[in-house]
Amino acid sequence: MGKTYEIRDPIHGFIELNEWERDIVNHPIFQRLRRIRQLGLTDMVYPGAMHTRFEHSLGVMHVATKMFDQIVKRRQNFLERELDFTTGGLERDRVLVRLSCLLHDVGHAPFSHAAEGLMDNDPKSNKSFKHENYSGAAVAFLMQDVVENHPLNQNYKITVQEIADFLNGRVALGRVLLWRSLVSGQLDADRADYLLRDSHHIGVAYGRYDLNRLLVTLTIALDPETESPVLAIEDGGVHAAEALILARYFMFTQVYFQHTRRAYDYHSVQALKHLLMEAQRGGDFANKEAFPPPTSRENMEQYLKWDDWRVLGMIHNGLAGEHGEILLKRQHHRRVFETPEVPNTSDLEFAEQVCEELNDLVSFVDKAESSWYKFESADIPILLRPGQGDEELTKLSRLSAVVSGLKAVSRTRVYVAIENKEEARKKVLNLRLKKEAQV
Amino acid sequence: MKVSLDIPWQRYALIAELTKQCQEKCPQFGKTVLQKMVYLLQEVFHIDCGYDFDIYAYGPFTPQLLQDLDLVEHIGAVKIYPVASMSGGYEIKPGDQAAHLIEKGSDFLQKYEVKKAIETLVDEFGCFRAKDLELRSTIIFVQRDFQKHGKPLSAAGLIEIVKQLKPKYTDLEIQEAIEELRKKRYLETIA
Repeated sequence: MGKTYEIRDPIHGFIELNEWERDIVNHPIFQRLRRIRQLGLTDMVYPGAMHTRFEHSLGVMHVATKMFDQIVKRRQNFLERELDFTTGGLERDRVLVRLSCLLHDVGHAPFSHAAEGLMDNDPKSNKSFKHENYSGAAVAFLMQDVVENHPLNQNYKITVQEIADFLNGRVALGRVLLWRSLVSGQLDADRADYLLRDSHHIGVAYGRYDLNRLLVTLTIALDPETESPVLAIEDGGVHAAEALILARYFMFTQVYFQHTRRAYDYHSVQALKHLLMEAQRGGDFANKEAFPPPTSRENMEQYLKWDDWRVLGMIHNGLAGEHGEILLKRQHHRRVFETPEVPNTSDLEFAEQVCEELNDLVSFVDKAESSWYKFESADIPILLRPGQGDEELTKLSRLSAVVSGLKAVSRTRVYVAIENKEEARKKVLNLRLKKEAQV
Repeated sequence: MKVSLDIPWQRYALIAELTKQCQEKCPQFGKTVLQKMVYLLQEVFHIDCGYDFDIYAYGPFTPQLLQDLDLVEHIGAVKIYPVASMSGGYEIKPGDQAAHLIEKGSDFLQKYEVKKAIETLVDEFGCFRAKDLELRSTIIFVQRDFQKHGKPLSAAGLIEIVKQLKPKYTDLEIQEAIEELRKKRYLETIA
């Protein structure tokens, strides 16, 4: 056993690292995360939201390890007998999971998820690249030495390509893909960490739930409908699972999709777009308003130069155009209309009429579904009567009236520039009165 | 510049239409079947429905479709019932507002290529159970993922990867599913 190091963390107490992980944390690409705030410009609404991706990444590695250890402790026989894992393979998987979770966010753009819309299109899939693709590329192109050539990797021979495949969800991983649910899924360590961490820093209680109870009841089972392995919670953790779903719902509606916070997301993206265009004018990239695609070492070196400090400095120096000015003066666009959280057909049709009526006054439309943190009503599998010979997998929504009553949030909002707020509100009011008169 | 609301009526209408068309043919049209049918419609029949599928141990999946399904249920165009049997899952049935929603998405659903693709999809895949569709959609995802990354798989390589993801299937079951997809020309070249 090599030397270990502890980092104090406000959520989990101490987070333990080995020498290999400490060297990765000390790498400039990981240190850049100290300059990427977890929630962009959320501090304009919740002043405490100054925490960064640096501490979150450590937290995700810590929670994912606890999840992994719990599953193996409880279900090693199942993993080996039913899913063909081996003891040696599991030991190696644990290392891969830790490193992948530690590095899962190194590809974030400035202002975190807000700027994800400025990532270029992937010609292979014709879809936009995501931050996971940038994380994978950062590791693969720029961290090979610290990952592959570290003495502690001698027994495992973990490659940067494997970590990139894990982050990108590539099927080349084979059975190891199962563990990707620990960083991207209904019961993942990413979500488990950010709900608690964001609540703590912002000063709200919405995201709190019983992580320890969830951890001791976490398990793995086969879905009876498809015979696929899924992460599940034993029946003793039903209320902790309920609390996790409610935490996601409250955090989404009260924090991540808070209307002013979303306006700041919009302005920060527009300001960044302006800065990108200026910086890349005359350059080689086809799309000057987007970040360089994560397809080469050179592109990644360019991309990783962008961080919050650089962008905030440019905004402060008046280089970020109209939206940079809006940010400096806090004259953000105003919400003048929104649908219910779960709209019906007539709500959506009315929203279309509002947009038509406001016409050029509309500066932007925001939809819950376009937010990275969107709240969809995906279920959590629950294992009933574990270890009693007649165990059965069911869904949380079948056991919980609270959860079965929750619907995905599909709210749409319309924003206008501050100087158009009164005119727009009058138009919306008139339209509403007209509609009511018709009814 | 005029900003439009772009409500994805075509996606909502597609859910209602697939629910309607699969009722007679599909043994249990639930959330898993819906996910895999829409995946096949996008990937195999090249109908851009606007979903971004990721792969998990349980096959291709997109949370956006669950979000849309929730809304379509709220609108009253489908009804979702939990199934009491041990196989679990859900059953999705048409709701009172199905016709209205399908009408709202008729520009999309009535396009010749979309109509034809849905008909063929339901005809060719509508009779499968969730687990059969999950196997087939996983095979297609694996094959295309390797192809896309410039490393086309041999038949044996494809079986090996799918077997690792779906250990409950025998090599023979996977091989038969691959053969069936290949005969129907739904599987691109295997090295």
